[in-house]
Amino acid sequence: MQLKRRKFIQLGSAAGAALTVGSQFGMKAKASALMELKQTGSASPTGKKNQEIPYTCLTCNIEDGGIAYVEDGRIRRLEGNPNHPGNRGKLCAKGNAGHLHVYDPTRILNPLKRVGPRGSGKWKRITWDEALSEVAGKIQGAMDIDPMSVMFQYGRNRTHGLVYRFMNALGSGTVNNHTSICECNKKVAMEHAWGPDIETPDFAHTKYILNFGSNLAEAAYFHNPYIQRLMDGKIENKAKLVTFDPRMTNTGAISDEWIPLKPATDGVVALAMCNVILQEGLADTEFIRKYTNVTAHQLTEHLKQYTPEFAEKESGVSADTIRRIAIEFATAGPATTYTYRGSSMHQNGVYTEKATMMLNVVTGNIEKRGGFNLPRGLGFGGGPGPHPPKPPHSILKYPPEYPLASHHVSHHVSHSILEGRQKINVFMLYCHNPLYTQPDGDTWKQILTSEKHIPYSVSFSINMDDSTKYADIILPDTTFLERWDPESMPSSALGWVGLRQPVIKPLGNAKAFRDTIYELAQKIDPDGKRGVKKYFSYGSAESYVKNQLEATPGLKAAGGFKLLKKYGVWPFYDKKKEDNFKFGAHEETLSESDLAGTTLEGRTLMKGGKSVGLMVDGKAVRGFGTPSRTFQVNVPEWEHYGFEPMPHYEAIEDHKRMKSDELLLSTYKPNVHTQSRTPNLKWLQELHHRNPAWINTETAKARGIGNDDLIRITSPIGYMVTKARVTEGIHPQVVAIATSSGMSNKSTLGNYGGSKDPDIVQNTWWDDTGVHPNQIIPVSTDPIGGGMGWFDTVITVTKAKSGDKYGDTRSDRGAARKAFEKALSKATKVRTEDAHNTTAKTNVRDEIHTEVGGVFGTTAKLRDFEDPFNTTA
Amino acid sequence: MAKKIKYAMVIDINRCIGCKACMTSCKAENEVPLGVFRNHVRELEKGIYPNMKKIFLPVLCNQCDKPACKAALPEGYEDAITKRDDGIVVWDEAKCKGKVAEAAIEGCPYSNPYMHPQKNVFQKCDYCAHRVDAGLQPACVATCIGGARIFGDVNDSTSDVFKYMATHSTHVLKPEEGTEPNTYYVALDRITAERLEGSQQLPPTDATEIAVENFSG
Repeated sequence: MQLKRRKFIQLGSAAGAALTVGSQFGMKAKASALMELKQTGSASPTGKKNQEIPYTCLTCNIEDGGIAYVEDGRIRRLEGNPNHPGNRGKLCAKGNAGHLHVYDPTRILNPLKRVGPRGSGKWKRITWDEALSEVAGKIQGAMDIDPMSVMFQYGRNRTHGLVYRFMNALGSGTVNNHTSICECNKKVAMEHAWGPDIETPDFAHTKYILNFGSNLAEAAYFHNPYIQRLMDGKIENKAKLVTFDPRMTNTGAISDEWIPLKPATDGVVALAMCNVILQEGLADTEFIRKYTNVTAHQLTEHLKQYTPEFAEKESGVSADTIRRIAIEFATAGPATTYTYRGSSMHQNGVYTEKATMMLNVVTGNIEKRGGFNLPRGLGFGGGPGPHPPKPPHSILKYPPEYPLASHHVSHHVSHSILEGRQKINVFMLYCHNPLYTQPDGDTWKQILTSEKHIPYSVSFSINMDDSTKYADIILPDTTFLERWDPESMPSSALGWVGLRQPVIKPLGNAKAFRDTIYELAQKIDPDGKRGVKKYFSYGSAESYVKNQLEATPGLKAAGGFKLLKKYGVWPFYDKKKEDNFKFGAHEETLSESDLAGTTLEGRTLMKGGKSVGLMVDGKAVRGFGTPSRTFQVNVPEWEHYGFEPMPHYEAIEDHKRMKSDELLLSTYKPNVHTQSRTPNLKWLQELHHRNPAWINTETAKARGIGNDDLIRITSPIGYMVTKARVTEGIHPQVVAIATSSGMSNKSTLGNYGGSKDPDIVQNTWWDDTGVHPNQIIPVSTDPIGGGMGWFDTVITVTKAKSGDKYGDTRSDRGAARKAFEKALSKATKVRTEDAHNTTAKTNVRDEIHTEVGGVFGTTAKLRDFEDPFNTTA
Repeated sequence: MAKKIKYAMVIDINRCIGCKACMTSCKAENEVPLGVFRNHVRELEKGIYPNMKKIFLPVLCNQCDKPACKAALPEGYEDAITKRDDGIVVWDEAKCKGKVAEAAIEGCPYSNPYMHPQKNVFQKCDYCAHRVDAGLQPACVATCIGGARIFGDVNDSTSDVFKYMATHSTHVLKPEEGTEPNTYYVALDRITAERLEGSQQLPPTDATEIAVENFSG
C-alpha cells in the first residue's frame, strides 16, 4: 500500500527501535528492580492518605465493583475494584465519572413541597418530619379508600425487594417497573426457551460471535465485563465478530464484518441461517435430540420455509452472505450469538430472540467453553422477616391482554391511568423519569400534571428531573455512593455477590430510600394497628442488607458481611478458574437425593409438582429451567394464547406498508450515558451533549439535506425539529437519534441545595444540548412479551419548514391515543378469567425478580469457591 | 547494574473500542477542566455505505525524548519544562505560565498541552507521574476496558510493555518531527494517510472534534 507522506500522522521508524529492544526477548526473565505498577490505588495530589472503600457502581445497571478514594469526607476519585470478577478493576466512562452524581449541582438536598401549580418550579423547603407526616397522611387516606389506589412506579430499583415489602405491607399490588421499555422481550423469550432471562457467552474462548444489534462496545449488558472478554477472544483467540445492525456502532467498528439490515428482520436472518446449517448437515443433531423438545427432522422441516432468498427479501442481507455466515458460524469451532435491545425491542422481538437463540441450539453451542451459556448469578434472601402477604396484582401491572408479559407493560401505564383502569390516589416515583424515558412522553406529562388522574404525587429523587418537576412533594434520595444494597449479576462465568455501601455520609438532608421507607412505614402505622409497622422492625438499612446477603450459601463461612464490607465482593476473581470453568450445567447428573421421590412425566422428572430433571438416554440430568426441563424449541404456552410455538418470523405490519419515501426511526444509547440519569454529569455531557439525527448520505441527498441542516422528523403522533448528521454509517431506510440529550434540568444549577461547580460555571463551552425524540415515538407493543417496539416507528424526514426552530417538538394527544389503541388491538383476545389464571402463573416469575432481586442463575449452582481468600494470596 | 527506568506506553489500536473510559478517568484523576483534555480518543470514519469503516485513535502526550514543547521555551525559561530521569516530561507551573506557556503549547506538534483556563498555566498529560511515583499505573491504562494500553519500563525485559513491543510492530505519530516519542502504537498502519484524508470527522461541538482540530492545527 502506498502511504502518502503527510504532516498529520506518519508511520515511523519506531518498529526498528522495538526490534532492537525485542532482541532481548526470550532471555530468561529477571526479577525487575522496579516494583510492578499496581492497577489501582490512592495517589492524591495533596499527598494525604485516602480512605479506600469498596462499593458497587450504579451509573448503569451492570453493577461493576469499584473502590472510592475519600479524602476529608469528599470522594476524590473512583476506580474499579480489582477483586471484582466481572469488571476486574476497570470502570467505563460513566463509572469513572460516577462521583459527579454526588456533587451534581442539580441535586436536591432538602425535602421540597410544591407551592405553585404543578410544574411551575415553585417549591418550599420543609423538614423531613413535615414531609413524611404529609406523605403518610395521604397514604393513610388512600388506604382507607382502597389500598390499590396507592401506586408505586419504579425504574432502576436496586433494593431487591424493599419496594414490594413496602407496597405489600400497604396492601397494594399497584406496582410497576420499567422493564417493558428496557429489554423484556428478550427476557420473556429466554425464560420460555431455557429458564433464565439472560445468557453469559464465553467470549474469551470463542471462535465466532454473531452479534444481532447489541452494542457491547458502548452499552448493553454487560458492557465493561463482556467487552473485556470479547476483545480477549477477538485478539488473543482470533475469534471472528460479525455484527448485524442498521447503524455503525462502535461494536460495528470493531467487528470483522458490519452487516447493516432493515430493522426488525434479525429473526428471519437467524432462522435462514439455522435452515442452511440443517440443510448442509452441519447441525448438532445429538444436542437437538437429547436436550430439546423437537426432533432434528421436525426442526429441519419447519425451518425450510425460511430460505436465504426469503430472508434477503425481508432484511436486505444477501442470500449469499446469509449462507456464508451460517456455514462459518457452524464450522468455526465454539461459537456464540449475542443480542440485547437492538434486535428484541421490536413488536416481533420475542420471536426474534428465540430465533437468534436457535443458532446456538442447532450448532450445539449451549453450555460449552466458548459458547452461549447459562448465567451464573448468586442469589440472596428477601431480608429479615416477617414478610407481608402478597396483595392482588393491579391491572396496570399485568394487563390481561398480555398474559405472557411477565415483566409488566410499563409503557401502557399512562394510557391505562388516563382511561381510569386503575384509580390512583397516591402516586410514587422512584428511580424513573417516565416523561423522558418512556415513549409518548406527552401522555405521561398529561397524567403527571392532572390532579384528577394523579391527586397526589411523590418523587424520591436525587435531582430535579423532567418528571420529578411535576411532583407535589420531593423526598431527596441519596446517590449510589451513599446507600446500602446487595447486588449480583451474571457478568462473568463466575458468579458473585457484591455490596453497595455508603462511602460517605449523605450530602445535606438527603436520605437513603431504604431509610425513608422505614421511617415512612412508622409514620403510616405509628401504633401498629394498620399492620404495616411489623414488617418494618428490622432496624437499620445495613442490618436489612446484611440479612439479605448472608443468606447466600457459603458466604457466612467465607467471612460474611464483614468480608463484603472489606472487599466489596465475593467470591474473588481468579483468572485460572475462569479459564478452566466447567460448563455443561444442563448435563449435570442428578444425585440420589435429587432423585428421591421423583416421578416421570414423558422425559421430565417431577417432584412436588415441579420439574426437576430430564431423562437423557436413560440418565437423569438437570436439564434447563423450563417446565419440561428441555430447551423448549416448541413453547406450548405460546400456542395456548394463539402465538406460534415454533421458531418464527413475523414482519411488522407497518413496515410492510411503508411508502418509498418513508423511513424508520431508531434510538440508541451513546457510550458515555445512561438515558436520563447521566446527562448532567459534566465530563459525560462534555463528551456527548447534542444528538443530531444520523441519516444516510444518499437518503439525505434525495431530500436536499446537508450535514448539520435543520430537519423535521414526522411520526404518526407528532414531529420534532433537529439537526442532521449525514453519514455513510447507517442503513438508508433508518434514522437514528441518541438518547441522553434534550433534558430540561440544565438550568437548575445549585437551586435545590447542591453546590455550584466553578468549573461548570466558568468553563462550559457548549450550549447545544440536543433534542429528545421520545415524545414523537408512539406506543407499540410485542403481543407476547409486552415490550415496547422502540425501533419500529415509521417516519418521514424533510428539511425544516419555514418557521421551524431547533428543538421544536409537537405531539398530538389524539394520535398518541390511537397508537396505543392500535397496539392493544394486536394483543391476544383472551377471556378475562383465563387471563387472571395466567397472571397468577406469572407471579412466580415476578417474585423471582423482586424477592431475590433479579438474580438470573436459576439453574446454575454455587460451586468451586472453596476459599476466596487463598485465590488472592 | 540495573538499567535506568524508561517509561513508555503502547496503544494497540486493534483493541481500542472507543469507549472513552480513559478520557473520563483522566479528567477525574488530574482534575482537568472542561474544554481541555490530556487524553483524547479520536473517531475516524471512512468508506461508502455499506463498506464503511470506523476506527479509534487515542492520543496523549508522547513524552518525547526531544520534547518540542521544551525546545520552544523562550530564553531564560528553559527549566520551565524538564525531562525526568524516567523519561516523563514535566513542567513547573510557577515558571510555565502566560507567554512562556503559550510558546510551549505552540511548539508541540501533537497539540497535547493546553493552557489551564483559570490558572493560566501550561498543563498536559504526564503519564500520571504522581500515580507512577506511587507505584500505580496511569489512570487511562488502569481503566482501559479494551485492554488497548500497555505501560511500563521499556528497559525492563520482564515488563508487559517490553514484551508487547517485542512481539508487535509499533509506530509513533509524526516521526518526521524528530521528537522521538515514547508513546507507541500497534496497528497505526490501519489508519493510512489516505484514510485520514478522506475521513469524515464528527460534527462540531463534540469533544472528539476538538481533538481533531487540535491535532491538525
